[in-house]
Amino acid sequence: RVSSDGKPPKFQPPPKPVIIDRKTQKEERRFLSPEFIPPRGRTDPLKYYIERKDMIQRRKVFNIPKFYVGSVLAVTTADPYASDKSKRFVGICIQRGGKGLGATFVLRNVIEDQGVEICYELYSPRIQAIEVLKLEKRLDENLVYLRDALPEYSTFDVNMKPVPPTDHEEIPVNKLQVRMKPKPWSKRWERPKYNIKGIKFELPEHKMKAAQKWSQPWMEFDMLREYNISKIEEKIRKELNEELEK
Amino acid sequence: MMPIWTKSGEKHAVTLLKVQDCHVLRYVSKEESGGKTAKLLVGGKNVSPFSKPESAHEIFKEAGVPRKQKVTTFNVTDDAIIKPGTPLYAAHFRPGQFVDVTAKTIGKGFQGVVKRWGFKGQPASHGQTKTHRRPGAVSTNKAAKVYRGKKMPGKMGNIYRTSFGLKVWRINTKHDIIYVNGSVPGHTNCLVKVRDSKLPTYKDCNKNPPFPTFFADGDEELPEDLFDEEIFQFTDPSVTFA
Repeated sequence: RVSSDGKPPKFQPPPKPVIIDRKTQKEERRFLSPEFIPPRGRTDPLKYYIERKDMIQRRKVFNIPKFYVGSVLAVTTADPYASDKSKRFVGICIQRGGKGLGATFVLRNVIEDQGVEICYELYSPRIQAIEVLKLEKRLDENLVYLRDALPEYSTFDVNMKPVPPTDHEEIPVNKLQVRMKPKPWSKRWERPKYNIKGIKFELPEHKMKAAQKWSQPWMEFDMLREYNISKIEEKIRKELNEELEK
Repeated sequence: MMPIWTKSGEKHAVTLLKVQDCHVLRYVSKEESGGKTAKLLVGGKNVSPFSKPESAHEIFKEAGVPRKQKVTTFNVTDDAIIKPGTPLYAAHFRPGQFVDVTAKTIGKGFQGVVKRWGFKGQPASHGQTKTHRRPGAVSTNKAAKVYRGKKMPGKMGNIYRTSFGLKVWRINTKHDIIYVNGSVPGHTNCLVKVRDSKLPTYKDCNKNPPFPTFFADGDEELPEDLFDEEIFQFTDPSVTFA
């Protein structure tokens, strides 16, 4: 190397190593509740923005924990006719529906041999507490088939102790295959339209093959049905993070 | 449409109506219009001026306002006259007031008698030949004619209809949105006319309305959201029954 003034070049310390902290990057991708994502349609986005402001207001005052379909929850609601003025119900979350303030979730449990399903609204002011007793995912997003499964798969102890989550990042997926009651079922769950992976079908081979007759393989390639949420999700996540930190 | 909860925990469905660039266009006096009261022409949403001829722009040029998509008349008493060109805001209405909403219903096209008028039709089987959703008999023998206004198939929808006596639950002054109880005729994002209710039960409902209207450049400073007394506000903790 050519040096100025004939003296050895000045010592340049090596550049500082850039540390990419994977943990903080993962925390930023926080769980976004599905009711925040607006549905496809021709409504003015201003309506969803105003609804989101109300939802964030409610979340600041009352904690709505993160949960998935398949987790066991305990919900306490205010009831004017109960002796304690409040009711507690424990059950497994079967489905989450609705968008915006009208978002609902259905809890199922079998109490004294009677199956009970209650549909709660997430943002209703009558709900006093939501506790997640067991946070886990199942193989499907919709567990309505539990109505036709053996009752042991829907029974949960009313005085169950909350199970602490093992990992902070990964949600355990329960790969349970549920055994069904004999047919007839409320819906033909073996048909490909429902795309259920969590049932152990004990039907004969020819019946499973006959059910594939109703498959619609072209739906997967239909471009008009595509709804790309990634950009909308990012914007809403940013908005949520800003508002909740205030 | 959105849900809204009261302080006792009951849920009501609510329609959101946005007041978008409303201006008063012209004042028509009682003698000029030939009616019982004076009229005020009010224009709605802004729209491009290029799709209509110059002659149609006269009203808007006089008021000094861009071309509006819809122009409606309101019957007004003499002490409520407003100068043409003043903008109208959602704060003209107050929560707790009752309101009538008029709009064009969703057009269903040419429809048969069962959908249009609710006729029962005929049974599906037991020998019916090609007759399942037909009107059946149209008149009697003695009449020897069909009366005017007989319910028959035709174009359904796309006509003006009003929902009366809708309560105003909440008003957003920043975005000019009125939250009105129940459903309203028309499709999403359609133009709608909102008036104070003419029902006799709600005659004395509005105690201190902004009269003649809410002026934005006045001294009054309203908060961003105006709520009715019975609404559960999300800043409060959950409802408990004592």
